[in-house]
Amino acid sequence: MGHGHYIAPAKGQYQVAAGQVLELQFVVLPGESRDIEVTVDLCGPGAEAHLKGLYLCKADEKVNFRVVMHHKASGCHSTQLFNGIAGGSAEVNFDGTIVVAPDAQKTEAFQENHNIVLTETAKVNTKPQLEIYADDVKCSHGATVGQLNEDELFYMRSRGIPEAEARTLQMLSFLAPVIPEGREEEIERAVRSL
Amino acid sequence: MYDMSEDKKIIQEFTSAEYKEGFVTDVEQEFIPKGLNEDIVRMISARKEEPEWLLEFRLDAFRKWQAMPQPDWAHLDMPPIDFQDIIYFAAPKKDKDRPKEIDPKLAETFDKLGIPLKERDVLAGVVAVDAVFDSVSVTTTFRKTLAEKGIIFCSFSEAVKEHPDLVRKYLATVVPSSDNYFAALNSAVFSDGSFCYIPKGVRCPMELSSYFRINARGTGQFERTLIVADEGSYVSYMEGCTAPMRDEQQLHAAVVEIIVEKDADVKYSTVQNWYPGDADGKGGILNLVTKRGICRGEGSHLSWTQVETGSAITWKYPSTILKGDYSSSEFYSVAVTNNHQQADTGTKMIHLGRGTKSRIVSKGISAGVSENSYRGLVRMGKGAVNARNYSQCDSLLIGSKCGAHTFPVIQSQQPTATVEHEATTSKISEDQLFYCNQRGIDPEDAVGLIVNGYAREVLSRLPMEFAVEAQKLLQVSLEGSVG
Repeated sequence: MGHGHYIAPAKGQYQVAAGQVLELQFVVLPGESRDIEVTVDLCGPGAEAHLKGLYLCKADEKVNFRVVMHHKASGCHSTQLFNGIAGGSAEVNFDGTIVVAPDAQKTEAFQENHNIVLTETAKVNTKPQLEIYADDVKCSHGATVGQLNEDELFYMRSRGIPEAEARTLQMLSFLAPVIPEGREEEIERAVRSL
Repeated sequence: MYDMSEDKKIIQEFTSAEYKEGFVTDVEQEFIPKGLNEDIVRMISARKEEPEWLLEFRLDAFRKWQAMPQPDWAHLDMPPIDFQDIIYFAAPKKDKDRPKEIDPKLAETFDKLGIPLKERDVLAGVVAVDAVFDSVSVTTTFRKTLAEKGIIFCSFSEAVKEHPDLVRKYLATVVPSSDNYFAALNSAVFSDGSFCYIPKGVRCPMELSSYFRINARGTGQFERTLIVADEGSYVSYMEGCTAPMRDEQQLHAAVVEIIVEKDADVKYSTVQNWYPGDADGKGGILNLVTKRGICRGEGSHLSWTQVETGSAITWKYPSTILKGDYSSSEFYSVAVTNNHQQADTGTKMIHLGRGTKSRIVSKGISAGVSENSYRGLVRMGKGAVNARNYSQCDSLLIGSKCGAHTFPVIQSQQPTATVEHEATTSKISEDQLFYCNQRGIDPEDAVGLIVNGYAREVLSRLPMEFAVEAQKLLQVSLEGSVG
């Protein structure tokens, strides 16, 4: 089902059967306001789901993510990584839930959401949630909201890289894990426009 | 691997017998009639001989409460509470011949609980205690010693009489009466609690402590604590609580307000050991508490440490408003649920000032068929330039029928602020258990050992007197949960 270029529709419900692998990729470029609602049910033993998301905002976009990862069977594996940058007066809401059903033992579920806020007027709300009803599980989630690292910036500038270029490099490296294959140039252009 | 019947026996023994604070004190008590209406509110106020403004405050809160719906957003399966079926005020009768002395039966009760009411007791040298029995404060120790330094430490009712200006100035400034359903209820019917004021530049020489005891059947406890730390002062405050074992559920809805001025430092520790109900989930305390502090001045600091092992239901979010620039706050929590206990607890860190810092470390442990949730909010306001938060929430599951949940919310409106949140959920690994077993440590002790190690980071923050107690409690709360 999944391959690198596949950009998932904004609203979707997916059921993954035993042994199948689902890969979803989300890209939100500057100027787009989007509501993304995704529910993934891992229904059969050993099902896998891997979700990646990238979002860039520079004006007054409103980007909402609502992701529910439901582990219904044992031995399923899910990963989620959503990285984004918010500038202008954009508002980003990330609401992600991992539910592990009572009998879904040997579950491995990981979720990460990282945000960089560029301006005073941008707003980021993130709400990663875990609901776990089984005990033999490895689950974790992480969320960060921060800014570009000043030390890295200084390092690059002291080596003659202009500030704007250094910032672009930082943002690109921040986004690198979620940039879909083959769309590197497009994303780079979008980052430069921020 | 283990003998099942032996396991069952252990489980039964511990879940039924180990709540050693579950006794009832047979003491003559006065009650006001059951139920809740404006007359009851007036009656409580009259009984406490309160000034007009406080009665108005109560009535106002009561009217607000009536218009509010009971919140249901928490991850709790809570039975409906019949507020008309509760006695809102119960007090042990005073002996008319000896009005100044503590009833020996009450003294005995607190003695049994290990709470020193006599100043000559050994532990008493380092801790001053305000002991609250149902709706009234029985005694406050070391008032004189503390008064020499200008520290006011007394029951809330006395504070209303002796320091009305201070109470009026600070009451409901951190938790307004309309804050939430249970805070409004408390504001209307609160009975007693502790009041503490540390003057400018004074370092409180001993730990201050409140001990809350529910005794009477059919009652609820609604205490109110107000702590004010003036500029540059320091105080470490501890809170403990227990209740008898009963089939009925009893309501405990408290409000704690803490005001921390410039450069002051307050450390607030709780060891909550209300009766958790029996192994089938019958009885126990509904612990629905609002605790909030404000770091008002620059460089102020507030630290929350809690060990939650008791209560059938816990609904509690000690929070800090970081208003002063460069103020900081911490929240360290261990919450244990076993059998049918449910806990929905966490914290809120509201960053308003520049360079404010907060740190959250929450360790949840669930066993039996319990549900344990962490719920938290970190908000970076527009003014929170260079503010910093780090949160870590770990859950440990023991047994396959319990639940562990994490509901953190992060809101940022400040580009220079940094927020980090991490959460993990795991179980005690078989390797760890095997390692201990192999070295001759039986499964029960091994779990205790592993859990204590897991919670160490939080336990080490507790004042010495509490830390020992808390470790024992953890062990007892979890006993019978392996198998």
